[in-house]
Amino acid sequence: MKYFFLNVIKTVPVLILITLIVFILVRVTGDPVALMISENATEQEKAELREALGLNDNLIVQYINYMGSIIQGDFGESFRYNTDALTLVLDRLPASIELAIVSMILATIVSVPLGILSAIKRNSLLDLFITGISVVGKAMPNFWLGIMLILVFSVMLSLLPVSGSGTLAHTILPAVALGTGIAAEMTRLIRSSMLEILGQDFIRTARSKGLFEAVVVNVHAFRNALIPVVTIMALQTSTLIGGTLITETVFAWPGVGQLLIQAVNLRDMAVVQAAVFIIAIAVIVSNLLADLIYRLLDPRIKYD
Amino acid sequence: MKFFRYILLLIVLLLAACSGGNDEEGAEEGTSNDSSDGASDEVLTIGNSNDIVSFDIHDHNNTSTEAVHVNMFNYLVKNDPDEGFIPDLAESWENVDETKWEFKLKEGVKFHNGDELTAEDVKFTLERVANDSALLEYGAYRQIEEVEVVSDYEFVIHTYEPEPALLNRVSRIGSGILPKNYIETEGWDVFLENPVGTGPYQFEEWQKDSQLTLTRFDDYFGDEPKWSQVEFRAIPENSTRVSELLTGGIDLAVNIPPDDIERIESSEDTTVMSAPSQRVMLFVLRTQGDYPTADPKVREAIELAIDKEAIIESVLEGHAVPTRTRVTPGNFGANEELYDTQLYDPERARELLEEAGYADGVNIKLSSPSGRYLKDRESVELMVAMLQEVGINADVEFLEWSAFSTPYSNKEFEDVFFIAYGNSMFDGSQALQRLELEMAAGETDYDNPEVEELLSEAMNNMDEDSRLEQYQKAQEIISEDRPIIPLFQVESIYGVNDRINFEPELSEMLYVDDITIK
Repeated sequence: MKYFFLNVIKTVPVLILITLIVFILVRVTGDPVALMISENATEQEKAELREALGLNDNLIVQYINYMGSIIQGDFGESFRYNTDALTLVLDRLPASIELAIVSMILATIVSVPLGILSAIKRNSLLDLFITGISVVGKAMPNFWLGIMLILVFSVMLSLLPVSGSGTLAHTILPAVALGTGIAAEMTRLIRSSMLEILGQDFIRTARSKGLFEAVVVNVHAFRNALIPVVTIMALQTSTLIGGTLITETVFAWPGVGQLLIQAVNLRDMAVVQAAVFIIAIAVIVSNLLADLIYRLLDPRIKYD
Repeated sequence: MKFFRYILLLIVLLLAACSGGNDEEGAEEGTSNDSSDGASDEVLTIGNSNDIVSFDIHDHNNTSTEAVHVNMFNYLVKNDPDEGFIPDLAESWENVDETKWEFKLKEGVKFHNGDELTAEDVKFTLERVANDSALLEYGAYRQIEEVEVVSDYEFVIHTYEPEPALLNRVSRIGSGILPKNYIETEGWDVFLENPVGTGPYQFEEWQKDSQLTLTRFDDYFGDEPKWSQVEFRAIPENSTRVSELLTGGIDLAVNIPPDDIERIESSEDTTVMSAPSQRVMLFVLRTQGDYPTADPKVREAIELAIDKEAIIESVLEGHAVPTRTRVTPGNFGANEELYDTQLYDPERARELLEEAGYADGVNIKLSSPSGRYLKDRESVELMVAMLQEVGINADVEFLEWSAFSTPYSNKEFEDVFFIAYGNSMFDGSQALQRLELEMAAGETDYDNPEVEELLSEAMNNMDEDSRLEQYQKAQEIISEDRPIIPLFQVESIYGVNDRINFEPELSEMLYVDDITIK
């Protein structure tokens, strides 16, 4: 418990650093007033708008004000929507989480059997086929796969809706587009992890006891092979979030990714800051969860 | 090939199994327009490339947002491309003296919440945007000094200066009349969540970045609204938007890239419609200082080197019109002699460069946004090659829009930059204002006293005929001085399901009631 408490405290400086980096980046890369105001605006009109948006203060003053507000849970107002930035992000979060979870489930359903099969049938034609597919799966860019899936399953076969959200059917194509790369990565990892475990002494012992091969593989070997898999799943959270940025745009999926891309394009500072903050928290939480799961998988692991 | 088919079938079966019963249900919903065309013909679905920005009609300058708003709010007058200004909320109007405009409102106009429209609502709406400098549309309304309420249905707009383009101002973004009582009682936050206007369609639901749903307003003061429900979907990815159109997910797809035209035309149920838009692509050039473009001969050579028609044919699939002016037909002040024409003459361009002392070629810096406008990068790359042919070596810098907008706003570009300008006022003043001395300073640094006089006189000239002459003359001189080189007016391209009739507007507004079922 103490370990987790300490780890949570350790995330505070990370979060502060992230706010600082994002704060500086959104300010040095473009002027929101230039993006918002019309072509014939006079210098005076630009100055007045800049003042109204609080952009005339010194950067340090702006940052201190901003941090003061964050502590009170106020991330500022979106220039574009004129509403609270954090609420905007939190409103979109469920859609992104839904997409991420379904992708992860799909990736797991596909990668676990393929990874195990590939390991126990090592160097067979099947192994070669699975490894080949994994390489292709990993190499395909998200957006390209998304567009191809739409063309085949929606336009040609009329099986699934093209875009939007609301039903499970709407989730399938974006989840496949997002999950394919992760499934490929996980298949390769499960394969190599299983191969390593299958060569160890305790497996030989299990086999020599006369246990069925299925028990040896699924109980003894797979459980031990899971630890690195859990690590990679936790690490994939950031890949998943990176992927949602593109996948959500391709499928018009109203999640944090699409919101963030539009906010970056319009230099909607408050929304960019709030979205990155929430994403950072999501990554930290998933890493902490991975630590917890290690303990469940291997009781020998102790955190002191 | 057979093997591929089996694999495909296997994946389909797997997917179907994964999604269980919900899949079928969802698949039906996803293609609902296919199956329910007969039953729910009154629902119209439009796929936009962006979601609307806000319901604050004064705090955006976004054409695609306004294209949606026009169905929820009404202007005082409507600027019709054929008939000129026609009544909308105002029944009649009169320009009584240079700074005074009397208006009479239609009686019995209802807001969506049941309130009746009065002159107080007009005063509330126009004075807000005319006085609050933090609003994005302030610049187009600050000319209004006061809205004086005479009676419930009569009011007078007073302007600081003579304002010939007043009707243009009150028939565009920011002029939808807002419900004073509703906003003052409930507050702006409630209004922005549940906007209320006088238009034929009322607000139902907004899922940001996904879908806006409007429903028919039964008490609308005009003709009965044609559709029971209208859905505006935000589908940013072009190919996804086209796929939605092809599968019947949407009836109308806005902003179709030329590359996808064939895909739409080759489908049995869909077709492509296009019309000129208000957007003109142009080069903006430095006319003074140490820049090569300060020499008028170099500027002329740039124009003569570019074969606009070739770019339109090869890059834009014919969906643009070459122009030498920014004030295109349909706008007050348009000089039609400078429209649909080009001066391509590479031989003369080479001679001009020689005369200017650049016989061995000249280097210029060219900045351009990338991914902002229809085929911007491809068009510029082709123009760079054309310039190279005559001896102008353009060092081109492509910038993503948000990176482009800061040096643009700060007037930091060097010799030439590429940009597209719109004109939501449909008036020469908006198109040429940036060439007036004060605005041009630091950018083109254009300084021609004759043009300056013509433009500043036209700005406040209440005599339509002489104002028209002033703008036309100014464009003629500008086309010879070349502080800007207009290139082409791009068309807006739409994908249309054959079940509906749709005519694109020059303004790019999507008046839902002008769209009918075949």
